[in-house]
Amino acid sequence: MIYEKHYVWSILLRLYHWSLVSSIVTLAITGFYINSPWTLTTLEGTGLYPMLTMRNIHGLAGYLFTAAILVRLFLLLCGNRHERILDMLPVTSRNIRNTSTTFYSYSYISDYHDHERLGHNVIAGMIYILTLIVALFQMASGFYLRLPESVFWQKWGVTLFGTQQHARFEHHLLMWYFIIFAFIHIYLVIWNDVKHSDGITSSIFTGNKFRPRGIK
Amino acid sequence: MTDTENNNDLELQLNRRGFLKGCTMVAAALGISEAMIPKLVEAATTAQRPPVIWLHFQECTGCTESLLRASHPDIGRLILDIISLDYHETVMAAAGHQAEKSLHDTLDKYAGKFLCVIEGAIPTKDKGIYCKIAGRTAVDILAEVAPKAAAIIAIGSCASYGGIQAASPNPTGAKGVQDLVSGTPVINIPGCPPNPISFLGTVLHYLTFNNRLPVTDNLGRPLFAYGRRIHDHCERRAHFDEGRFAEEFGDFGHRNGYCLYKVGCKGPETFSNCPSARFNDVDVWPVSVGHGCVGCTEPNFWDTMTPFYERLPNVKIPGIGGSTDVDSAGKKILGVAAAAVGIHAAIGIGKKVIKGCGCKNEKKES
Ligand code: SF4
Ligand code: SF4
Repeated sequence: MIYEKHYVWSILLRLYHWSLVSSIVTLAITGFYINSPWTLTTLEGTGLYPMLTMRNIHGLAGYLFTAAILVRLFLLLCGNRHERILDMLPVTSRNIRNTSTTFYSYSYISDYHDHERLGHNVIAGMIYILTLIVALFQMASGFYLRLPESVFWQKWGVTLFGTQQHARFEHHLLMWYFIIFAFIHIYLVIWNDVKHSDGITSSIFTGNKFRPRGIK
Repeated sequence: MTDTENNNDLELQLNRRGFLKGCTMVAAALGISEAMIPKLVEAATTAQRPPVIWLHFQECTGCTESLLRASHPDIGRLILDIISLDYHETVMAAAGHQAEKSLHDTLDKYAGKFLCVIEGAIPTKDKGIYCKIAGRTAVDILAEVAPKAAAIIAIGSCASYGGIQAASPNPTGAKGVQDLVSGTPVINIPGCPPNPISFLGTVLHYLTFNNRLPVTDNLGRPLFAYGRRIHDHCERRAHFDEGRFAEEFGDFGHRNGYCLYKVGCKGPETFSNCPSARFNDVDVWPVSVGHGCVGCTEPNFWDTMTPFYERLPNVKIPGIGGSTDVDSAGKKILGVAAAAVGIHAAIGIGKKVIKGCGCKNEKKES
C-alpha cells in the first residue's frame, strides 16, 4: 500500500502539546513536594530555600501551563480544521460515525479503521475537551491559592470552591486526573501506533500523518 | 469594689489611661493612622452610646466569655463602656419576663438604630424547635429582630457560618445569620472564639465612621482582621521556606520551633490576624506555643479542616462509606487504570497470536 504524507498539526499545536507535557511533569513533581515536604537539613541560615524554590518553580510551571491552555483554547476556534472544536465533538454525522467505529475498534469488536480522518478520533476529542475544562478549574484553583489577597481571584475562588481549603483539596485531586490521563493517553498512542500505520506518535513531533493514497 | 487579697482595684469603670490604651490597640488592629486615635476616642466617648441587643442561639457562650475576660482587661471593659448592652442573656441582671420586656422596649424605642450582635447558629430543621428562648424559636426571634436592626454583627464561627453544629450531618439544620437575613447588613467576625480586638475594631469603626461597617472580603469578614492568611504573616514562615518541619509532636523539629505544616497546621488556608493580634496578656497564639492552626475562621472548618493533624481532608469512598487520603485514593485509581490497560493490551496481543496468519496476509497485501 502506498501512503501519502499530510500536514495535520500546526507548529502552535505542537508547541502547546510539549509545553503542557513539561509543565504537567514539573507541576506534579513540585506539587508532591509542596504537599508533603521533607526536612532536608536542620542547619539554619544555609541559604537553601527548598520550599521557596519548589514553590517558585511550581508557579513558573503554572504560568507555562496557563499559557499552553490559552493557546489550545485559541486553536479550538482558530486552528486548522483538525484542531478546531467542531472536529472533536460528536456534532456532525461524520463525527458520530467515528465515535462508534472508534469505540468498536478500542473494544476489539471490529478492526475497521477510519483512514479518512486525520485529526483526533472523536472519543479522544471529547476527552481532550474534558481535560481542557479540568485544566481551567486547575488554573482557577491555582491562582486563587497563589494570590489569596487578589480581589479578583478571591471572588472567583469563593464562588467556585468556597474556601482556600476546598480549593487546595480539589487542586490536589485534579492533579491525579492529569496523572491518570497522561498514563492512559500514552498507552493509547502506543496502541494506535502498533495497530495502525498513520504515524500517530511521530505526528506530534513533525506535524505529519500518513494515509493510504487515494482516500479523500 | 476592691479585691483586698490581691490589692487590685476591680473598678468596673475604665480609667482614662486604660481607655486610651484600648483605643490605641484597636487603632493598631484596624490599621488606621495614629492621627485618627482622637477621633476613635471621641466616637467612643459620645454620650449617645449605641444600644446593642445581643442574641444567644445555638452556642457555647465561648465568644462572650472570651470577650468579657478579654486577655487585656481594658478591652473587655472598653466594650462595655462604649456600647449600651440593653439585652444580653449572660450579663444582664434581669431574667424571665423582665428580660423579655427589656428586649421589646429596646426593639420599639430604637427600631432601625440599634446594633444587633448574634452569637450562635440558628437551627432551621423541624421548624427550628432545636433552639427556643421564652417559648419562641431562634428563627422567629431572628425574623423579628433582624429587620429592625441598623446592622448585625455575627460573632463567632457559629453565627457566621454555622460552626460545629452545622458540621456534617448537621442534625438540626444549623445555619449562619447571613444565610437567613436579607435587607439588613451583616458582618461576620468568625473564630472559635474570635479575638475580642476584631469585634471591638468593628464596633469602633462603625461608631467613628458614621455608622459604616468596615470593608469585608467575599465571605463577609472585615479585611482589617481577616485580610491576610495566617501563613503569610506567621513567625515560623522562615522555617517553612527553608524546608524545616516538625515531623511529629515532641520531635527535634517541634522542640526547635520549626514550621508545623506537616503536623496539620491550617495557617496556609486560614484568613485571620492571630499572628499579629494574638491572645491573652502574654501575647500568644496557637502556633507560637507549638500547635498548628485548625482554621477556625473559615466556613465549615469542622468538615474541611479535619483531620486536624493532616494537610488535606480525606476522600470519601462512595458505596463503602470509608474514607482515605487523597494520595492513596489517587494511587488506587491509577492502579485500576494500569490493570485495565494491562488487560486491554493482553487482549490485543492474544488476538494477534490467534489470527497469526491474518497478519501475514495483511503484510502480503501491502
Ligand atoms: S506554622 Fe503554620 S502558619 Fe506558620 S509557617 Fe508553618 S504552616 Fe504556615
Ligand atoms: S490560629 Fe487558627 S485555629 Fe487558632 S484562633 Fe487563629 S484562626 Fe482559629
